[in-house]
Amino acid sequence: MVHFRNLLLVFLLGFGVIFPLVSQTSTDRGQAILTEVDRLSNFEDRDFSAVYTIVSDRPGEDQSVTQARLFRRDRNDQFVILILQPQVQRGQGYLQIDDTVWFYDPESRRFERSSLRDDIQNSDAQNNDLNRSSYTDDYTVESMTEGQLGAFPVYLMDLAANRSDVSYDRVKLWVRKDINLVLKEENYSVNGRLLRTILLPRYVAFGDRYLPTQVLIVDEVNTGQRTQLTVANPSIDAIPDVVFTRQYLERVSN
Amino acid sequence: MQYILIALRNLSRQRRRTFMLGGAIAFGIMVVTLINGFAGSFVDNVGENFSQLLAGHIFVEGVEKTGTREVRVIRDDDVLTHTLEEQQIPTRFISRRSNFDAEIVFQGNTIRQNIVGADWTREEFLRERLNLVEGSFDELTTENELGQRQGLILSKGIADRLRAQVGDTLTLRMRTVNGQQNIGDFRLVAISYDPGLFGSLSGYADLAYVNQLIGLQPGEYQTLGIFVDSISQIDTYFEPYYQTLENRVQVFPRNQGEEGQNQVEALFRAAEEDNWEGVRYRLYTLNDVLEQVQQIVDLLNNASLIILLVLFFIIMVGITNTFRMIMIERVKEIGTVRALGMQRHDVMVLFLLEAFFLALGGALLGLALAGITMFILGLINLGLDSAIYILLKNGYLTFLLSPWQVLLNFSVVIGLTLAAAYVPSRKAAYLSPVDALRA
Repeated sequence: MVHFRNLLLVFLLGFGVIFPLVSQTSTDRGQAILTEVDRLSNFEDRDFSAVYTIVSDRPGEDQSVTQARLFRRDRNDQFVILILQPQVQRGQGYLQIDDTVWFYDPESRRFERSSLRDDIQNSDAQNNDLNRSSYTDDYTVESMTEGQLGAFPVYLMDLAANRSDVSYDRVKLWVRKDINLVLKEENYSVNGRLLRTILLPRYVAFGDRYLPTQVLIVDEVNTGQRTQLTVANPSIDAIPDVVFTRQYLERVSN
Repeated sequence: MQYILIALRNLSRQRRRTFMLGGAIAFGIMVVTLINGFAGSFVDNVGENFSQLLAGHIFVEGVEKTGTREVRVIRDDDVLTHTLEEQQIPTRFISRRSNFDAEIVFQGNTIRQNIVGADWTREEFLRERLNLVEGSFDELTTENELGQRQGLILSKGIADRLRAQVGDTLTLRMRTVNGQQNIGDFRLVAISYDPGLFGSLSGYADLAYVNQLIGLQPGEYQTLGIFVDSISQIDTYFEPYYQTLENRVQVFPRNQGEEGQNQVEALFRAAEEDNWEGVRYRLYTLNDVLEQVQQIVDLLNNASLIILLVLFFIIMVGITNTFRMIMIERVKEIGTVRALGMQRHDVMVLFLLEAFFLALGGALLGLALAGITMFILGLINLGLDSAIYILLKNGYLTFLLSPWQVLLNFSVVIGLTLAAAYVPSRKAAYLSPVDALRA
């Protein structure tokens, strides 16, 4: 009987003390990996620009192609997205200054308040998808396991939003073990339903930083709806300060 | 009195001519009166229909702002309702609603639509206003196993575009008040007629379920709608209510819009641009929302006045010519009465009286014809699915004439007719009796 009691004690200790410790270590490690994910994909000490082609497929509709030039200055939380195609939307643009995102329409010549959460030109891509990675600002690692995604050994991380104004309340990440790059991401709604899956099969290296050059966003609510982002002409050359101003958008849109 | 009788007798002597001229005047008055009548009821009908759809005459929205974060919510409405009672504003009903902009997904089809959450157990008037093509309101209050009321009403146009039918389950994607993505399943329980020009304005669902999806707590909501006892008294009740609230809570200042900017639009812009924090209330009225409708009415009334002037310019040419002919026909008669001692002034008065009675008779006939036309048009049921449903009263055209507008039209017609007849009348008055008798 005493023997059984000891066994029970060990068992309870195992689950009550050791398991939380293990779990704590796992989430701490997860948080460190998340920090590394952000570090690898952000350009804190230099500017970044590229041309993004966004191809959207919606069931029953013609394929739509949007081309946009992106200018990013991560150290100041600034970006400019300038729409190049389609012709009817050419000249429209988004500008982030501090926490505010503005949308500029050359037809009305007015700036309207927009958001990082807004879709880019009716695609599944959001302004946020082109902006700097900020998992550590927005999410906390709830759990982390190890697994395999295709040929890559990965960490499978469950993230929970630590603020109520983050687009997706819960996120699942598949992060490469060797270099901490996100290969797959799932975004969930507040009530826990899968909204979209993002696949990031290709990266290009800029020194010790990486940029996904192909991103596939699959809409999980409307079957058949998907958006593909491809990156061309990426550059880390310095961008003039004037680019990150309203005046620049007004000028280049004319 | 004698001149009046002579003028009337003269008019009756040439019945066909009088009828043609009077008919032209009557036609002009009829057209203009119909436009005025339609414009008069336009505001009332649109206002009435809109107040039912928006659930109120006076609206209050709560906005919480922290930094750049803005949440649209009313968490506690005690001060709002208490002030209403204190001001003794005669209130018919108070609605509490929330809404979200949704992307509706159904079998590969997607469409954006505003979804309004209403309390169906209390908002009886909405049941009366929403005319259903299919389905019923009963299932809106049916709860699923989770206690959610997932019923949804869409307009026919939206349901057709989604190819959805009553009984289908639709998936709606929306954002919470904090901007987080969320998703909810709804069951299409009814399809309503498109409310005309503004068809597909909103879909309707249960308030509690809408609140749950956008992240509001039970008892919270976004818009307080106040129905006052008379739609024409909205501004009278609104001003003291706004002023009292201004001293008790933070409210968005009114009349801040740029020139030409709608009041409601200006209020929304102020929330975004102003540098403030805390809880503020945005107050506006149905009249603010319908400001542009009033502009349409003014445009219609101005157009009708221009039509009246153009029509009567043409008629004036006819009247001037006719009176010239009358003068030539009656030259000998004028010579005789002048020889018998009638003064020039009296001859002119006689001619002008003739013109006056011609205009008055024509105008009265035109008004009567307009009345008959309005009556007949008012009997035709244009149907609840009419494209102009929002302009109608329960599917019927209605007309509302202002006595002042009628008086203005009459004055314009009589004035112009007298002006047209003035030159020939003056010529007749200044004829030499001897020349006239010799003619």
